Amino acid sequence: MAYRVLVVDDSPVMRSFIRRVMTLSGFDLGECLEAGNGEEALAQLNAHRVDVILTDINMPKMNGEELMRRLCADGILKTTPAVVISTDATNERILRMISLGAEGYMSKPFTPEALREELERVIGDRDASRA
Amino acid sequence: MALSSVIVGISDCKVTRDADSVLVTYALGSCIAVAMHDPVTKVSGLLHYMLPESAIDAKKAEQNPFMFADTGIPYMMEALKAAGGDGKRMVVRLTGGAQVLDSQGVFQIGKRNYLAARRILWKAGILIAGEAVGGEVSRTTRLEVGSGRVWVREGGGIERELVRTSAAAKRLEQQ
Amino acid sequence: MPPELEQHWKLERQANLGQATLDQEPAAVQTMQEAAAQVLETMFFSEAEVAACEHAWLASAPCAMIRFEGSHCGEMQLALSAESADPIAASFLGLEPMELTDAQRGQVIQELSNILCGAMLSHLWPESELALASPELTAWQEWPDEGALHRCFLISEGMLAISVRLISKSPTARPVEE
Repeated sequence: MAYRVLVVDDSPVMRSFIRRVMTLSGFDLGECLEAGNGEEALAQLNAHRVDVILTDINMPKMNGEELMRRLCADGILKTTPAVVISTDATNERILRMISLGAEGYMSKPFTPEALREELERVIGDRDASRA
Repeated sequence: MALSSVIVGISDCKVTRDADSVLVTYALGSCIAVAMHDPVTKVSGLLHYMLPESAIDAKKAEQNPFMFADTGIPYMMEALKAAGGDGKRMVVRLTGGAQVLDSQGVFQIGKRNYLAARRILWKAGILIAGEAVGGEVSRTTRLEVGSGRVWVREGGGIERELVRTSAAAKRLEQQ
Repeated sequence: MPPELEQHWKLERQANLGQATLDQEPAAVQTMQEAAAQVLETMFFSEAEVAACEHAWLASAPCAMIRFEGSHCGEMQLALSAESADPIAASFLGLEPMELTDAQRGQVIQELSNILCGAMLSHLWPESELALASPELTAWQEWPDEGALHRCFLISEGMLAISVRLISKSPTARPVEE
């Protein structure tokens, strides 16, 4: 089945990198939506159902932690798997994001293959739970 | 039936779709071996290159493109395509790139060779399915054309298979 | 960055230069070198080896500045030599250099500075709170040696320069995301 993914990062080239990994990983990528911050992400999520959210943390207007907090508080959106993709690899931040429901945490830098493995794990687990 | 070995030398490349063949290359120190396999057509290739960039000696690159990553990898990919392989399906593994002294006493050529392969493959739209690189050991690599399995021996150790271990990947492949 | 925050940072630098300096942090040099190598190799497919400092190229080099707050406040600047900027950007994006747009060139340097700053600080102080501002394209500034940690690196296509310095945390400092 075709997946719809939302990539949230204030760097357009980082969004390109992530989109490229997803395309080359062989996923049936139906649509890749993009947002430059948490506010834009929420607007996208209000307009579209997505299968996976990939989010940075440090972004202007609304950061990734606040975005996760809002998703966690939403009865419907909290069921959408979210993976954090961030340069912040400090322990407290990682713990907070996981306690807010993040299903994965990729610390930059990472290889394209490492991101592929993480996406396969999250999407594969989601498919397994639906079977 | 016994598989027949096809030896790939240093600065060399072989492409075949003979399912009874095994492509094998020895003495991978700082060199890199690039193993490519199309699981549908079985078209397979093994490249063994020595240096990252052909700009240092364009004449040599013309005589033997397989000496360099930036000429050898594109040449092999063209040969795989001509033999009926699909670039989008290629399963690619890298071995070698050890830190050894080269003729100029420089340790870093192994890493430079490895990074060159990664850069070229990323640009070509290919993610790696497995690798056994770095360290200080010499390696032997073989690619079974019929199965696509790749085996590596490091130093005097036992041979091991290079596999992708992601359980989720296997589930997705089975869909 | 809002003008009032810019002014705040300038006053902080003037008041606190020389205190709480990174060049006195024993692990900082090693961490910077390891972070540079890891970041360049992993996502940009380039080596990064410490090199002798020679700064003539910096005057015209593409450069990014990134500020950070939290448990430690400071700033990092990063510059790529002119001949390396396009190959580095092309490597990251999987493109040929001639396919790059001007916007992509700037955005890759900004993202490189973001990744490197985050990686370095997260490894140096893993138990800290960290908030990174959005990197800005700027011109290289020669900071005084005292207080700043600086290294030049030889990378696959040219040179990379990094400088990082701390300022003392001010109770009036606003979070960088506001």
